Formats: sequence, structure tokens, C-alpha cells
Amino acid sequence: MKTVEKHQHMDTPEIAARSVGARVLRSEDPRLLSGRGQFIADIELPGQLHVAFVRSPVAHARITHIDLSAVRDAEGVHLAWSGADAAQFCEGLVGEFAVEGCNPTTMPLLATDEVLYVGEPIAVVVAETRYAAEDACELLDWDFEELPAVVNADAAAAGVGVANPQLPDNFGLRGGASFGDVAGAFEQAHQIVEGRFYTCRVSAAPMETRGVIADYEWASKSLRVWSNTQMPHFLRYMLTAYLGFPEQNVEVITPDTGGGFGQKAHVYPEEMLLPLLAREVDRPVKWIEDRRENLMAGAHAHEQYVDIAYALDATGKITAVRTHALGDGGAYHAPPWSMAVEPWCAVVMTPTGLYDAPAAEYTYAAVATNKTPVGAYRGVGYMAGTFARECLADEAARATGMSPFEFRRHNVVPEFPWTNPQGIVYDEGSWRESIDVLESMVDYPAFLQRQAELRAQGRYIGLGLSFFVESSGESTAGSQEHGLGDVYHDTATVRLSPNGTAHVTIGLSAQGQGLATTMAQMAADTLGVRVEDVIVETARSTSHAYGSGTIGSRGAVIAGGAVSRAAGVVREKIRAVAANLLEAAVDDVDLVDGNASVKGAPDTSISIAEVATAIYFDMSSWPEDFDPVLEATQAYDTARAMFSNGAHAMVVELDPETGFVRFEKVFSVEDCGTVINPNIVEGQIRGGVVQGIGASVFEELAYDESGQLLTTTFLDYGIPTMDVSPPFEIHHIETPSKHSASGVKGMGESGLIAAPAAVLNAVNDALTPFGVVLRELPLSPEKIRAAMSGATESAAPQVVAP
Amino acid sequence: MSATPQERLEVSISINGRRYKAPVEARKTLADFIREDAHLTGTKLGCEHGVCGSCTVLIDDAPARSCLTLAAQADGHRVRTVESLTEGQELNGLQRAFREQHGLQCGFCTAGFLMTATALLEENPTPTRDDIVETVSGSLCRCTGYQTIIAAIEQAAAEGAADTQKHDEQEGDVL
Ligand code: FES
Ligand code: FES
Repeated sequence: MKTVEKHQHMDTPEIAARSVGARVLRSEDPRLLSGRGQFIADIELPGQLHVAFVRSPVAHARITHIDLSAVRDAEGVHLAWSGADAAQFCEGLVGEFAVEGCNPTTMPLLATDEVLYVGEPIAVVVAETRYAAEDACELLDWDFEELPAVVNADAAAAGVGVANPQLPDNFGLRGGASFGDVAGAFEQAHQIVEGRFYTCRVSAAPMETRGVIADYEWASKSLRVWSNTQMPHFLRYMLTAYLGFPEQNVEVITPDTGGGFGQKAHVYPEEMLLPLLAREVDRPVKWIEDRRENLMAGAHAHEQYVDIAYALDATGKITAVRTHALGDGGAYHAPPWSMAVEPWCAVVMTPTGLYDAPAAEYTYAAVATNKTPVGAYRGVGYMAGTFARECLADEAARATGMSPFEFRRHNVVPEFPWTNPQGIVYDEGSWRESIDVLESMVDYPAFLQRQAELRAQGRYIGLGLSFFVESSGESTAGSQEHGLGDVYHDTATVRLSPNGTAHVTIGLSAQGQGLATTMAQMAADTLGVRVEDVIVETARSTSHAYGSGTIGSRGAVIAGGAVSRAAGVVREKIRAVAANLLEAAVDDVDLVDGNASVKGAPDTSISIAEVATAIYFDMSSWPEDFDPVLEATQAYDTARAMFSNGAHAMVVELDPETGFVRFEKVFSVEDCGTVINPNIVEGQIRGGVVQGIGASVFEELAYDESGQLLTTTFLDYGIPTMDVSPPFEIHHIETPSKHSASGVKGMGESGLIAAPAAVLNAVNDALTPFGVVLRELPLSPEKIRAAMSGATESAAPQVVAP
Repeated sequence: MSATPQERLEVSISINGRRYKAPVEARKTLADFIREDAHLTGTKLGCEHGVCGSCTVLIDDAPARSCLTLAAQADGHRVRTVESLTEGQELNGLQRAFREQHGLQCGFCTAGFLMTATALLEENPTPTRDDIVETVSGSLCRCTGYQTIIAAIEQAAAEGAADTQKHDEQEGDVL
């Protein structure tokens, strides 16, 4: 395993928790609750024009003719472009993944010769109003010749058809690795449990769709781009690299954002086109995606097949695990993640989980299909991998005659640090404890009794478990330990003003996670001031702190580390002056609750506000050689990969008449180290788990055989509603990280990572009397009804003797 | 309505107690009128096809999807939006309850939930949990998982916090 060398920016100051751990109410809320938030659609620039796209109505076709004259002549239209017009400025966005076996693709900004999926943009119109722009789109005169569509991953892998001519064999990625004696373990296995699991294609479907505004001032060559992106600094870099805008003149601004969940962590053709259009028409241009576009052209997610097998010894211990993942990648690699992330992450990041498996082998492949490109959505790869592993764990429990708790306890890693077969080191965790805690939360014996009683009455309830280990705080170390070479680091700037209040900027944009609140807590505790006296600006503009993106559950860990380090520098300034004023040694000065006081002499103290005022206005307060800057910018990255852990248990009831799955209750155990703000952590759990319920039961981006997308409204694509969402019981365990500021670990994705396995396991538990085991999502009413009426084929777990 | 979609009609709508008059295209939605002509952007558009509920406003005290209502249909009616809820410069009881219960994350869906809940509490100040779930299930939230929204509405009800004082009509042309 590759580790990173330790650098200065990986150390954080030790601070006493005062507001960290408290249910501090969010500073974001008053503006959001009163309709005073400013989201991208709410921004109006003087003179702005509106943009609409013409998108392909077919999955795969050759464009034989395209004529924009009627569009250009339409009332209110300023400009219309086809693919050829856009290609003069940019040939497209290259998508690839930095592992062996990846074949890159170039995604044009607007399709030129061929359209490769329904929803692919083929022309763009700029007009006085959105209404006028959409009217003009209707006038596009174009012809196409339909080509056979590749819509199934297995067919694509078998070479039936070509989805994208840039990938003649359809493979966007193929590779694998083996660690330990896997073949031997499978040969000598007492039994082998295996299955093929399918996570269906879904959309993150944030309530706010994507949006971009661009404004170019030719006189100063300055470009301002508003985007609700999760990666403003990366977008700025791409605008410079692909379009040639001078870096020093490009500013990316991120307004309030209505959820991202990974879908907004890409660089999309629309984000590249708007700046070009603004320059061309010399007016600000604005594009707000509609829901149909979002479901068609915002990154799709999660679709893959995972084949997984455990070799078990006579006692039921896992002796090896084999995983193969096949991702249905859509038509192009979605930059910057690519179609590789789903299958690659699934097999590389998740196969061992919390189990002490001594050997592991994996292969991964991603194939192109004539569907929307697959990108990131909360728990990318982790969800499918955890789904396969945890569902197989339940099947193994049944095969070995153990309870699902027992099987996991029998196999859980006994002590830390633990190195998995790939060489990834896990420093700490509450893996075993989480099993015990969850078992007592659900009161397993009582559940079994209730289940038996209800069964006798013809009612079918089930309990499903899912345990997770989540790589958190996406970092350089985390990337390298998993075999990638990505470099991440973020900065924060902390400034103390004359009244002793703090202004903090971080390099991460926020999408609703409450980062302004949690970061104020981190800054307040480091500076020793009250949390109300801290104001935090998340990456509103790339002119402030630098950030590698709000992705990979890294906000709390990485921004928190940077804030804490920057505040630590300012803290030392305050201590130096306070010591001077109090005639004490610097080492004896403590900053807490707004005061600088001398350790052991609490009456000898001065308020931090007084110290700050003195630094600004009274030179006599300064110690010798004092530099009065009360502002610091510091970077942070973690020294090691870090992992949070936990579990969910779900109780469901199946309705044999309707096939509906009713969610009775969710029990969650979360260990994300030190909890900064329990409200926010619990909010992330509930939101993520309900997304997982959606991905398991209610949601599927469905295509027909011709590659037509059938789910383009919220009527066809049903995300969970209040009446189907269960109540929660949440238990926190805190096993602090040794490497992060205050011991914080990330946890933004675990709800969605682990919930689908709990759902399927619960459904399969409820189906036990019917002798059916399901392995494919979504668990639609038809599938459940078929299973309960004996119409489903897969009748027993696949258990084979070696 | 016999107008063509692009034809302009004069509409006059009272929004949060102020009267807004403007000539608008017959096809213009009430949501767009509120956001673009009245410049009240607290009302959000999550789907523009009547499913998500984020555009919910009160028309004559009843919740309505402003994305499916034409501005012309609201002519002469009284509309309330999220901007009307605060008491002076303070959050009202329902808004405070949302904050205390963590009933919002990104806040994009929130205006719709607040307006639907306001109508519910005005009509029935002591709703049961089932009443709340039944009434509010027509709105979508992708962030919270809903339980804290239910808890917030329950808290507001328990505190009798319905913003029952409906704004008086102040005449006066704004546009
Ligand atoms: S925007 Fe009106 S219901 Fe979704
Ligand atoms: S709070 Fe984000 S959609 Fe509801």
C-alpha cells in the first residue's frame, strides 16, 4: 500500500470542545426559512438573456442534417448554436479514470455527428426570455438516421453493438487484482455462498436542478460564472484549461444550493457552454435546468451488477471473498469521475467491510451503453458494493444456520489496527460494538416472536441489517491508499476583528449540509470565542479559500481541519498578547468562553474582545517583535485514510395484495468519531437512509428496448414521500480519529451506502416463508407480489459445495 | 380563456397584502409572476409539473401549486407566499419550529412545506400526526427524510403557533 509522507498541513491543534458536540441551531436557517435565501434561479443580472437546449429524443442516431436558420430568425432569439459551432471553441470534455485499463472518451459540448443518449444536447438557443428560447427550440430543423441502441450492460460487454464509436468494444474500463491465496481458499472451502446483485439506475434528483449563469466583460477579459456546483475551484480550472479564459480573470460563484448529493460534482457541457455564449452575445446568460432535463441529462447513478462469493470454512468463517462488478456506464465517461467510479469503487473499497477476510480478489468493468452517463451520487460505488456484501452476509447467515447478528459477530475484525488483504489499514472503529448495540436496539428476540405471531395471522414482517465502513474525509492519503493518485487539500482563512469576532472562509461550497454552522463551531472552540461570534462563508467565490470539492464525505474533516489550523494560528497571536497584558507566560494562557485566563488563576483574565481591540489599536499591548496580523490562511489534508462505521436495521412489512413494502422503523448506529453537531449528523443519516429506501423500492430510471427513457417527470420517477418514510432511532458511538482535528470523521454518505442492503435483507427476511430470495433492485410491487404468489424463480439461496 | 399563449393580459394580484399589476403573457405561470414580476423569489420551482410542491402558495388561504396556476387565473385573488410568514423581522412560530427541529437542510423545498403547513394549521390548529402526514405528503424533500418536518409541524401546533393573522389588503399599485 502506498502512503503519503507526513506534511506540516496534516497536523491540527488540540482544542477543548465547548460548542463541538452541541446541538447548535443552524445559522443558515433564518434566511432559508423566510424566503431570503439566494439560489441560482433567484439571481437576476441586468440585461441577462436566457438559454434553452434542444436535446436528443432518441438513444442512438447519426445526425444527417441540421439547420438553425428558423431558430435564429425566431422572435427574441440572439444566438443559436449546433455542435459544429461549439466545437470551434472546445472539442469536448475528456473523461477518464487514472487506473490501469481505462479507455478515455471525449464528450462534445453539443453532439456533432452522432447522438448517443436521450437527452444529449444537440443545439442551444439564447433568447430574451426562457419562454422565447423554448419556443425557438421547437423550430430546429434536423434529420437523423437511427442506429441500433445498446441498452444492456451484459450485451454491451458481449460486444453486441457499439454504443459509442470511441469505445469499439464498449469497454470504458477493465481491470482487477488479487490479494492472498484466493484460489486455495475457494478450493478448500467448506461451502461457498454467492450471488449476483443489481443496483438499478437512479438519479440523485436534488430538489434544485442544475443551473449556470455566465457574465463576460470583454474590456477586462473577466469572466464570472455562477454555478450550483460542488466543485467551484475545479470548474474554474476547467474553464481555464478547456476554454482558455485567463485564470486570474475567472471567478466561480456558488450561491445557496438546493442539494447536490454528487450530481453537482461534475463538470457538465452546459457549464462550459454558458461562458462561451456570454462572450459571444456580450450579455449575461442564464440557464436553469428543468426537471425533465435533470432526469435525462443530470448524471445518472448506481447502475451495476455485482457478483460476489464468500468461501466459508466449517465454522462459517469467511476465508476469501471474490467480487466482480460490471457497471452500465452510459454513453460517455462523465468528467471528472468517469463510468469507472461505480464498479471500481464497489470492488476496491468495499469487499471486506467489517469482516476479517484474509484473502480478496476482484475484477471490475464498465461498459458504454446508449444511456445518460453515470456519475457520482452519494455513496458512489460504496452503495452497490455494500449492498452485495451485506446481502450476501445475510445469505451466508442462513446457509450456516446463524442469526444475521451471529454471523457478523463471528466474522467481524477482532482488533485494531487492522490491515485488509489489499493492505489498507484501518486505525480504529467500533465494528464489533456496533453489532451488539444494534442487536439490543432492535430487541431481536422480541422481534422474532412478533414476526412468528404475525406470520401465523398471514402478515409478513422482516428485519434487515446492513453494516458499513465508510471511507471518509476524501484525502490524498485515502486516494493513494486505494491505488489512485489524486491530490486533495483545502484552505480556510480566519480573521479576528477588533471586537473579538471571527470571520471564516472555507473553500468548500455547501449544498444544505450546514457547513457554515459546523465550521463556526470548530472555529469558535479553537479561538475560545462564542459560536455566535463567528461568521462562516462557504466557498461563495473562488476568490476566497481554496477547496478540492464538497465530495467524499470530506466537508467536516477537511474544511474542519483547515479552519482549526487557521484559527490555531490566530489563537497563538491572542495568547501572546494576552500573556503580555496579564503578565503571565504564554503557555499558561488558556482561551475559553470568550476569555483569556491564566491557568490555575482563573481570576486573572481578560476578554478576547479586549485583547483583539488592543492588538488593533494599542501598540503598547504588543509583545516584542509582534506582527499584528490577526488573519491566517492554512491548508489541511489528512495524514491517513480514515473510516467511519455503523449500521442500519430496518423493519418492513410486505403487503401480499398490493406488493407494497411498508417501512415500519429504522434503527441506526453511527460512529463518525467526534460529533460536531448531533442535529446535523442525524439529519444526514435520515436523509441518506430515505434516499436509500428510494433507490431500493421507489426509484428507477427506466429505459425501453430502444433506449427511450421512460421516467422524465416526478410522476414516473417517484422519490420517497412523507407517508412512506419511517421513523428513526439513532445511536451515536464516538471513536475519534487520531488524525483529524478534534477526532472528527466524515459521514455524509453512509445512510445511502448502507440502507439498500438493509431494505433487501428485510424484504428477503419477510419472504422466508415463500422460499424466495431477491437480489435485484428496485423491489417493485410487481416483484414482491410475484415473490409472494410463488411466481418467482430464484427459490433458494445459491449455496454450492466447492 | 380565449387568448393565445403569447397574448398579453392585464392582471392584478394581491401578493402578501400588496397589489401587483402587470401585463403578462396569457401562458405565464403564477410562479413566474411571483418570482419575476413581483420579485419574490422565496417560492421555488422544483419540477414545474405539479408534483414536488415546492412552489406552493396560498390563494385565498388555500394551498395551490403556483407552477400549475396561470398568473391570469389568480387575477383579482389574494396570494400569500413564504415572505409573508415572518412576524416583523422575526421568524414566526412555525418557522422557529422548523429551525429547532432541523426540519430543513438545503431549504429548497421549505417554502412549500411552510405554506402547506400554514394552511393546515389555520384550518385545524390541533392536527394529529396522521393529519399532518396526510396533508403534507404531497410535497417532496430530498434532504431531510421528513421526520423532522413532521416534528416541526407538531411543535408549531403544540405551541399554537399558526400564523393565523392573515394580511390585510393594502391597496396601492406596485408595478
Ligand atoms: S414546482 Fe410546482 S409542484 Fe413542483
Ligand atoms: S431541505 Fe433540501 S429538499 Fe428539503
